[in-house]
Amino acid sequence: MMSPCNHESLLSVAGLSVSYGGKALVLSGIDLSVGKGEIVAILGANGAGKTTLIRAISGLLKLHGGAILAGQIKIGADDTTRLAPETIVRLGLGQVPEGRLVFKNLTVEENLDVGAAVLPREKGRRTMAAVYHLFPRLAERRTQLAGLMSGGEQQMLALGRALASSPRLILVDELSLGLAPLIVRDIYAQFKTIRSEFGTSMLIVEQNARLALDVSERAYVLERGEVVLSGLSADVATSARIHESYLGVQAEASHG
Amino acid sequence: MSNGVTAYLVRLRHNALPTTLRVIGVAVLLAILLYLPYVLQFRSIFGVRLSNMQLLNIGLSQVNLTLISIIGAVSLNYLTGCAGLVSVGHAAFFALGSMVAAATGMHLKLPFLATLVAAMLAGAMAGVVAGLPSLRVRGLYFVLSTLAIHFIVVFVFAEYQYAFHDVTGVAVGDAKIGSFEIDSGIKWYFFLLPITVLSCLLMRNTLFHREGRAVLAMRDNELAAAAAGIDVRILKLKVFAFSSAFASLAGALQAYYLSNVAAEMYSLNFAIQFIAIIIVGGMGTIGGGVIGAIVWLLLPSILMGAATEVKSGPGDFASFLLAHRPQIVNLIFGSIVALILIFAPHGIAGFLRPLWQRMIGGLPWRGRT
Amino acid sequence: MLSQFIFSGLALGSIYGLVALGFTVIYKATQVFNFAQGMLMVCGAYFAVTASIHLGLPFPLTIAFILVGAGILGIAIYFLLIKPLGGQALLPMIMITIALSIILRAVIELIYGGAPLTLRLPLPSGVFVLGDVRISQLHVTAAVVSWLCMLLFIVFFRRSRAGLLMRATADGYEAAVLSGIRVDRINAAAWAIGTMLAAIGGVFLCQLQLVSVELENIGLLALPAVVIGGLQSVPGAILGGLLVGLIEQLASGYISPKARDIFIYVPLLLILFIRPWGLFGQKELGRV
Ligand SMILES: Nc1ncnc2c1ncn2[C@@H]1O[C@H](COP(=O)(O)OP(=O)(O)OP(=O)(O)O)[C@@H](O)[C@H]1O
Ligand SMILES: [Mg+2]
Repeated sequence: MMSPCNHESLLSVAGLSVSYGGKALVLSGIDLSVGKGEIVAILGANGAGKTTLIRAISGLLKLHGGAILAGQIKIGADDTTRLAPETIVRLGLGQVPEGRLVFKNLTVEENLDVGAAVLPREKGRRTMAAVYHLFPRLAERRTQLAGLMSGGEQQMLALGRALASSPRLILVDELSLGLAPLIVRDIYAQFKTIRSEFGTSMLIVEQNARLALDVSERAYVLERGEVVLSGLSADVATSARIHESYLGVQAEASHG
Repeated sequence: MSNGVTAYLVRLRHNALPTTLRVIGVAVLLAILLYLPYVLQFRSIFGVRLSNMQLLNIGLSQVNLTLISIIGAVSLNYLTGCAGLVSVGHAAFFALGSMVAAATGMHLKLPFLATLVAAMLAGAMAGVVAGLPSLRVRGLYFVLSTLAIHFIVVFVFAEYQYAFHDVTGVAVGDAKIGSFEIDSGIKWYFFLLPITVLSCLLMRNTLFHREGRAVLAMRDNELAAAAAGIDVRILKLKVFAFSSAFASLAGALQAYYLSNVAAEMYSLNFAIQFIAIIIVGGMGTIGGGVIGAIVWLLLPSILMGAATEVKSGPGDFASFLLAHRPQIVNLIFGSIVALILIFAPHGIAGFLRPLWQRMIGGLPWRGRT
Repeated sequence: MLSQFIFSGLALGSIYGLVALGFTVIYKATQVFNFAQGMLMVCGAYFAVTASIHLGLPFPLTIAFILVGAGILGIAIYFLLIKPLGGQALLPMIMITIALSIILRAVIELIYGGAPLTLRLPLPSGVFVLGDVRISQLHVTAAVVSWLCMLLFIVFFRRSRAGLLMRATADGYEAAVLSGIRVDRINAAAWAIGTMLAAIGGVFLCQLQLVSVELENIGLLALPAVVIGGLQSVPGAILGGLLVGLIEQLASGYISPKARDIFIYVPLLLILFIRPWGLFGQKELGRV
């Protein structure tokens, strides 16, 4: 089932184990990779450890009281396992965290400005223009306070801010959380454009498995901190296992 | 919550030392407490004279003041450490206690013990008032409301002082029970010791009852406590009244002990000192307040005793130390507080706790489990 | 009489506003409610003593010395005390600043002695008489410089990139880190700026009064000032400072100097009840 990765690897996670406060392992022995130009999905039930994995990659674990106990994370050729998050961002990692973390008291433009602040000024201006082009809705609301925008627009802004730093890879954690299906579809529709225009690879965490499997090339399924299934998205989608344990539950939940 | 407590106590039982050993330990502690004032008063132990240095430069009067401060510190720890209501207004209740004791003694001619009760009642009532902002604001804003209350009460105290007494301060009557006057260090010691011990036990035992557990639950998560059916607002006011009553008692006792107290005494620093005490001792435990107060009040003399001792050595340094006693003490205390905050957030009690519990765990006065 | 009190109230209030602004900058960036702000102000006064009396520096260098000294002090405080405590609960964060002020006071008294000192800086010191108001040039200078500093800060905060990153960090720590902001540098800068603003206030106060650690009590008036103005609000801090200055002068002028505290802290208590977010602040966006 494991598909041989024929891309040049951009992110590689090997044997990663994580716990919070020295208690039980939340992730154990995770192996995962994202190739250049790939969109990869991570699926899993609540509490499977998806957010934790994202935090480990972006260096945010410590802030949440967690620690990497074993394993290695590499972005390109750099070992980022123990680097500070702000350093990792500078190596080309963008992140759309769980729960719409935008700067609520800053305007849309200022939010993007902060995102672009890691770049030289000229380049920053160019990526900001590209973000506005991608999401015209943000351009319309340039001077509005981010905290006063709708949830969907804030999520768009969070994505835009991550893109404004012109990252090589972005991590997207549960973009659809609490949003209307329509706007989620709108944003997802842009993912392939983002890849072609920004040259950004993506690692997306998503509860809505169908959506994620549609947009991604490969997928990993996490269960209780372990990868239980991985492969091409199409294969994962047809796999009996995911149908029963995941898509099935999803369908029931949304109908019931 | 209650399951956790039970499991914890059961574990303690298992670790506890054999009962006979523990009883002996407590007996020894009691004996020491009973003999201590004589040692300090007559500067000798079993007839053998001790040098100032051997007594760590500690006098009986410092011990008496420490006993009073313990009540103040434990009551603040009850409010702040146990219930999570951070207050910088503790000096206000000391001021109130001493003012009420002086006023009821002087104007109403109440006897000594009655004035203490009056101080406690006034403290409790003022505590309810001071607690009112906690119903409306939280965290930092609440801290500021206690700051405001501090300045308001101290202002009232100063007005009272200037109206009925003089600039040197409020004169408090004699501490007389019937015709028996508490007029010596040893008498004060044996008067204060039981009051202090009883106050601490009382505050401690409330924490083991249903409502006391609710207090701890409220500190950890107010919303969850409210959801569990605790009326958080009433509880906060009760805690405030309870803590303030003891702070006022301590204030009144201190006023009688010093026999004259002035408004300037109750500065913001006075309140801050109590916060420092519970941080050094350990937040949220009765023992923390006790240990903190002992360290805070006795360490300066010990340090200065040591400084006197080294005077024979490199003379300049020692005389520098002596000449700048308050500054050096403050420097050391400020640094201790900072270091404890950074490196030992549970205070000294955090280190001693396991030991103490093996000693005391399972003795009859421990309260219901 | 009234206009006299209003004038000196506004002048003093400008200094309080400056100190309060420093306080707000620190609070916004690091969520530390700095009880040592008054002592930082005192440090400014003693930096002036060191530069002007002990080192005999000319006036412009004295100013530079004070600013650099205050900046370094602020950065050192951040890295030595605030950062190691790492965003803990309210009480430890408050207490560490109290410990700081105890330490600073002790160190100052050890170095300079406890007795008040006189320091005369070459600032304008004459008096205009305008109708029945005596306008001290020192008051005017203090007010003008305070307003310039506040203006400068607001421009920096609103218009510069560093100011933007500072506002972003104040808005959300996690989002700031994820945007690649080097939060430590921003926070250290906030402490440096906050300390510098306090130090400038201290220099003026010690010209109006003697140099002594007791100036701390005046600096502590920054606390009610920021709360009355609105903790999170930059203009609120400045206006709160002005208001406290006015109240202080009117209360001590018409009633008694002792009554000052009552007229400041009773309104504070009322504001906490009625509008906890302050007169000029707003309820925070995105807070439940
Ligand atoms: N800061 C934390 N401290 C302690 N434990 C945590 C922390 N964050 C998460 N956990 C625990 O780690 C496990 C994995 O959590 P995580 O948030 O990674 O799951 P998730 O897959 O993202 O779930 P969801 O789909 O609900 O977002 C959970 O059991 C959770 O309780
Ligand atoms: Mg998650």
